[in-house]
Amino acid sequence: MSAHTHRVAGHRLPRRDGVGKVTGKHVYAADFKLPGMLYGRVLRSTRAHALIKKIDTSQAAAIAGVRGIITSADIPQIRYGTAVRDTTVFATDRALFIGHAIAAVAATSLEIAERALAAIEVEYEDLPPLFDPEDALESDIRIHPDWETYKALPIISRNRNIAGQARIRVGDAEAAFAKAYKVYEHRFSTALQHPGYTEPRVATADWDANGIVTVWCNTQLPFDTQTTLAEILDLPAARVRVTVPGIGGGFGGKLRIGVEHFAALLARKTARPVKVMSTSEEELTAALPRQASIVLLKTAVNKQGHLLARSGRIIVDCGAYAGSGPGTAAIALQVMAGPYKTGALAFESIAVYTNKVHSGSFRAPAGPMANFAMECQIDMIAKDLGLDPLEMRLRNVVKEGDPGPSGEIHRSVSIEECLRKAADAIGWHDRNPEPGRGKGIACSWWMTTGGSSGVYVKINPDGSATLVSGAVEIGTGAITGAAQILAEELSLDLTDVNVTGVDTQAAPFDYGAQGSRTTFSVGNACLAAAAELRRQMFELAAEQLEAPIEDMKLQDKHVVAGNKSISIAELARISRLAGGGLIAHGTAISPAPAYDPTRVQNHPLPVWNTPSYHAHAVDLSVDQATGKVTINRYVVAQDVGYAINPTYIEGQIEGGVAQGIGQALSEEIVYQDGRVMNANLTDYKMPTAMDVPEIESIIVECPSAAGPYGAKGVGEPPCIEPPAAIGNAIAAATGCWPNSLPMTAEKIAAAMQVQHS
Amino acid sequence: MNRKILNIVVNGESHQVLIEPHWTLLQVLRNEIGMMGTKENCLEAECGVCTVLLDGKAINSCILLAGQVEGCSITTIEGIGDPEHLHPLQEAFIECGAVQCGYCIPGMILTAKSFLDENPGCRPSRDEIREAIAGTLCRCTGYRKIIDAVATAADRIALSGAKQ
Repeated sequence: MSAHTHRVAGHRLPRRDGVGKVTGKHVYAADFKLPGMLYGRVLRSTRAHALIKKIDTSQAAAIAGVRGIITSADIPQIRYGTAVRDTTVFATDRALFIGHAIAAVAATSLEIAERALAAIEVEYEDLPPLFDPEDALESDIRIHPDWETYKALPIISRNRNIAGQARIRVGDAEAAFAKAYKVYEHRFSTALQHPGYTEPRVATADWDANGIVTVWCNTQLPFDTQTTLAEILDLPAARVRVTVPGIGGGFGGKLRIGVEHFAALLARKTARPVKVMSTSEEELTAALPRQASIVLLKTAVNKQGHLLARSGRIIVDCGAYAGSGPGTAAIALQVMAGPYKTGALAFESIAVYTNKVHSGSFRAPAGPMANFAMECQIDMIAKDLGLDPLEMRLRNVVKEGDPGPSGEIHRSVSIEECLRKAADAIGWHDRNPEPGRGKGIACSWWMTTGGSSGVYVKINPDGSATLVSGAVEIGTGAITGAAQILAEELSLDLTDVNVTGVDTQAAPFDYGAQGSRTTFSVGNACLAAAAELRRQMFELAAEQLEAPIEDMKLQDKHVVAGNKSISIAELARISRLAGGGLIAHGTAISPAPAYDPTRVQNHPLPVWNTPSYHAHAVDLSVDQATGKVTINRYVVAQDVGYAINPTYIEGQIEGGVAQGIGQALSEEIVYQDGRVMNANLTDYKMPTAMDVPEIESIIVECPSAAGPYGAKGVGEPPCIEPPAAIGNAIAAATGCWPNSLPMTAEKIAAAMQVQHS
Repeated sequence: MNRKILNIVVNGESHQVLIEPHWTLLQVLRNEIGMMGTKENCLEAECGVCTVLLDGKAINSCILLAGQVEGCSITTIEGIGDPEHLHPLQEAFIECGAVQCGYCIPGMILTAKSFLDENPGCRPSRDEIREAIAGTLCRCTGYRKIIDAVATAADRIALSGAKQ
């Protein structure tokens, strides 16, 4: 199927929430307010690792306008978390990083709340800190002394500061290394990166007369937030209602509880609505950034450059709590295997605690870190063997029907097409057009995360449809994409589909705006709901038209049977009188493909659903004196299966690459002795309009079996390859690979100097 | 409290607001006048989401004390168009797919408007547009479609100006 056969899907239609967003009418969580609302602020630790001997809030409580102060002593003693239930709302007996929440204050104004924070006295007794993840693996210092007592997903070892561990093993890697033509070993490192959404994390909470707390916030996962809040508040989930008015970006940084629990607890304490919004400093010291990592990679090849075996280890620095670290580290193993046939694999991931900010699941968690190592090493090997890096890749990429790392079968494979298209577009035949200028290429694969989606769809008496989904529109256009599918199936126009806001009390469950899954999964649920609505409408029309159901079809907002027809609007009106109206519940879940469990140990995502394939190519220049990189052109060839709305797919590619360029060249939350040195948006360097080239998108459509009209996940992949593609281009331009992110001008200049001396 | 009266014109309407000396223009616009289209993020003039027009020129409202704008005229995103009568920039941002999460968009559009108004009738190059909007961070779009939108709107505004 293609846009040629579809009226609505596949077309570049404007998003449903566009007018609200350009006129300032769209309400974001940050804009939300209630009468009598108080303002909450959080006191944060100034010590990286310390016992908390005393917290004295008496002076703060005496300030006029302060309505409530809470610390760990005032709330249920609950530990929560995804992989490891290690997290508490406030530091309990010890502070684990600079920025760790110690107390929260609600006051009649922000200024008063801030004055109260300054008046809280905390007495600390410093403990020896651990900042380096490799030190933390060896040290006898324990960041979580009670780790053995925590509930956690199965884990290979709870030694020292290990928060999670996973393995993928295929064949006999050691034997392959022993008889290989050549073996290469490299070490790479990547830095902490903030998701960089422009709306800070924010929540307003209010308790009603029935003891139900409503939280208006900007979470990407309202249902997960509901469940976690219920645990923290020690309530049944039915007494927690989470609703998302609007969200100013997420990128994975708003998956897990951010400030919602502070707002809910302060509102309970004060019996007033309370709003809590993160400051920029809190965002950069106490949010959920992309983990820093160390990747050690060893690869064996034959003379022709075929990959015989790869072994390696990724160490992911989780910070003070495991957060998404164990899962992120595990996902790196599939990324390290890449879209390549390799005789044997022996990969291990380790997530480790340190006394730094706890980290999250920034867009394609682990993708860019593992791909940077894996794809830079391919180029290093190609150079050593005298092979063209593109040719080396083409000799190794998977083909239709080849096994993946978990023993699953690669289907709907397009990696060769993506590589060739990206290379052609960048002019690969001329890799060094002039001194100091080079071209690089990198490729990857990525999953479309599973999880279920439900939608309610009702047909209104004017013939329009209302789509109720629990999935948050975080900006990607995913819900517009799902609405296009619904309109297509119901013979409506996109403007006939109204989308409601997300409210856990009213909407069916959705696994959430994460994992490149929203259009894919909500779209499939819309297909199911549309099928049920067609059934209802055809049954009703059969009476009205006196025609057999098998002759019926939907066409231009009518049920048509031969030369008879009746409008959808008319059927909706009749249905109201006949009983209940036209309404359907559509659900969807993608079952995980079959795989070989003996290959995968302790992995939360042991096999990838509906993978996508992609390649990036870049042409850049490096200033020979300063090391400054200027990107001349950047091309992405990405397989999306079926392009439901090409405009917003390009938007995902362009935005993802911009984030990847930031990670590659400039972005790093810089720690020194446990303290963030650049906790503001001037010193934390995200790309501006001056730093991002005109990214060129080549949309490849190799349809999947599971996605709506053959679609695959789109959102995360674009930020995976930029560090590797840029690293390889820098190497082509300068002859040296900076093996640590970000590849700042300073690091590149230093590498060039070493090479020249 | 040391409150004083501020006289200010917002989107053509006169307001008299009782303010505290430390309040910023952003606080007054959002909390006192209810212009919620002006967004709030870094509060240090680093991100640009709070941009409004002060006597026609783009400024960061988060670091400007409200007391400094006595008698001035402010334009917010609500003042340049509404859903029934979109400004050419607002139209072009939708058409070109320049809007994703949308949180930076009010500031981005007003920055672009200030730039185009300073150079009436001009059709700026893409590099000139890049430079003009460089003070406003967008994390979603990679800027390409925003530049498309500003260029499209500039063309249309120049064309309609030429006709008049």
